[in-house]
Amino acid sequence: MQKLNNSADKIYEDPRKVVAGALVEAGEKNTNVVFVSCDSSLGASGDPFRQKFPERHFEFGIAEAGAMGQAAGLSISGKIPFITAYMPFITYRCFEQIRDDVCKTKLNVNILGNNCGLSVGTLGPTHVIIEDVTVMRSIPNITILAPADGPQYHSAILKAAEINGPVFVRIHRQKTPRIYEEGYEMIPGKADILRTGKDMTLISTSSMVSKTMEAADMLAGRGIDAEVINAFCLKPIDRETILDSASKTKKVITIEEHTTIGGLGGIVAELLVKECTAKLEMIGIEDQFAVVGTYGELLDYYGLTPEKLVKKIEGLIDGF
Amino acid sequence: MPELSKEEIKELIEKSYRARSNVLRMMKNGEGHIGGAFSALDIITVLYNCILKHDPKNPKWPDRDRFILSAGHKVMGLYTTLADQKYFDEEILWTYNTLNTRVPMHPDEKVLPGIEFPTGSLGHGLAVANGIALSARVDKKDFRVFVILGDGECAEGSVWEAAMSAGHHRVDNLTVIVDRNGFQVNGATEDIMDTSLFEDKFAAFGWEVRTIDGHDFSGIYNTLSSVPFKSGRPSCIIADTTKCKGLPFGEDKFEFHHWHCAPEEIDSAINLVNKQKEEEYAKIK
Repeated sequence: MQKLNNSADKIYEDPRKVVAGALVEAGEKNTNVVFVSCDSSLGASGDPFRQKFPERHFEFGIAEAGAMGQAAGLSISGKIPFITAYMPFITYRCFEQIRDDVCKTKLNVNILGNNCGLSVGTLGPTHVIIEDVTVMRSIPNITILAPADGPQYHSAILKAAEINGPVFVRIHRQKTPRIYEEGYEMIPGKADILRTGKDMTLISTSSMVSKTMEAADMLAGRGIDAEVINAFCLKPIDRETILDSASKTKKVITIEEHTTIGGLGGIVAELLVKECTAKLEMIGIEDQFAVVGTYGELLDYYGLTPEKLVKKIEGLIDGF
Repeated sequence: MPELSKEEIKELIEKSYRARSNVLRMMKNGEGHIGGAFSALDIITVLYNCILKHDPKNPKWPDRDRFILSAGHKVMGLYTTLADQKYFDEEILWTYNTLNTRVPMHPDEKVLPGIEFPTGSLGHGLAVANGIALSARVDKKDFRVFVILGDGECAEGSVWEAAMSAGHHRVDNLTVIVDRNGFQVNGATEDIMDTSLFEDKFAAFGWEVRTIDGHDFSGIYNTLSSVPFKSGRPSCIIADTTKCKGLPFGEDKFEFHHWHCAPEEIDSAINLVNKQKEEEYAKIK
């Protein structure tokens, strides 16, 4: 089990700032690391890298398909590009370049999808993409990392540079409380059990992990002993950890700030239907385009606050 | 710069027409994008025999010039050229389009030496080439990157994203050749989507542009030998070509973009291609 940050005073970190620092570190460790901007360096973690390594910073403008192809070209020549933009533009707009030029070729191109989930809810559904995991995980050869806190974001960037193949990192906009201790090292392909329990398994990812932990604390006060798994690596998924826990508790609930269609809920469903008799419920966003609102309003609207999670989970227990 | 001698031109004709015959032999398996393969073949022949710095015995030589066939469906002419260059055994050609072949209808760099990058979906190659060219700048290497685009392909927006970027970044180790054969799947390019005035379009994006006859070996050689046309600018060559050049009954016919042929048609087609070769010889002054 990973060492957790149990300090009473919560440390909140801005994922973009953590990523920005980690990118500079990655650039210092390996001179092949380059940054590819689609007019996105300033807003999305690339500026410290640009200032430190201007000759390794490429600005390709608001042209993500071209930028992804150019990142592939840089990579096949031995560079390790990190390419970033708002989530919809760096996934959907250039999806075929990701599939053909980056994944089929298994190049070390690292795609940073900014502002995942509901984190920029006031921008509306053109910018709020709650289906990115669904589409991206359908492509062979890609690794998908969904960090939950600062130490995980930091480690994910450094690991992405090391993994010899494409990596997609989901980056949230909202500050996140620290779950892990500083110096945490992510093991891609694994999931972390953050809390052991016997009554049910709560599997969570990204921004929802801290909220799931809060919900588990509240459930404990009501006599429900929940195990909490942080599925920070959505592809490849840690079958063993999830199946072991599901076999133990027989009740599994997935929790995500994403559509359950093909998201974490879908991933776990695919696992359980083949290999385990545990019952599964999914908490996430139904099949729809997200409504507009602030992050706090949207979490409440979609029932993803810790309090609403507890209420939902208690309701689901009767159905199990 | 020395001009090509008559003997050298004759040798290039011999090679490009032998490549065409081999494309036809591959098509005994039933179908292929012969129109674009034949329109681009004289350019590809000059590139591999006279222009590219490359080593078939060491396909991944780090200092080699790179060639990206963005219009991946034209690949049969590249396959036959690579076989002639001894990148692989010619026997591999005859497995075209069969189960797990190393020479599929669109190229795959994982299975065949000499292929730099897999292409097939149109509009990808120029961006990739630009990224490769920029990597040379970072690594302070002087290799060059050459790309062939189809004229129909240039309706893809991603071509122009990459063209804009190459102009903006002043990537002068990049040369694109537009194979302007004038036809695509559904008909004449000007009727499907008029992409004419390529010269003006690329120039507006910061490229230095030349127009050539894509079947005149001297012209192809002289122009490719003089890139970059201008320091600090990417080079663009608009090559006017004939769709299905060398097979008279297919020339300038959009139906020969992708030819479904009967095996018994192949031998007579090869005979016609050989006759055409003799006519090309006769034109050498």
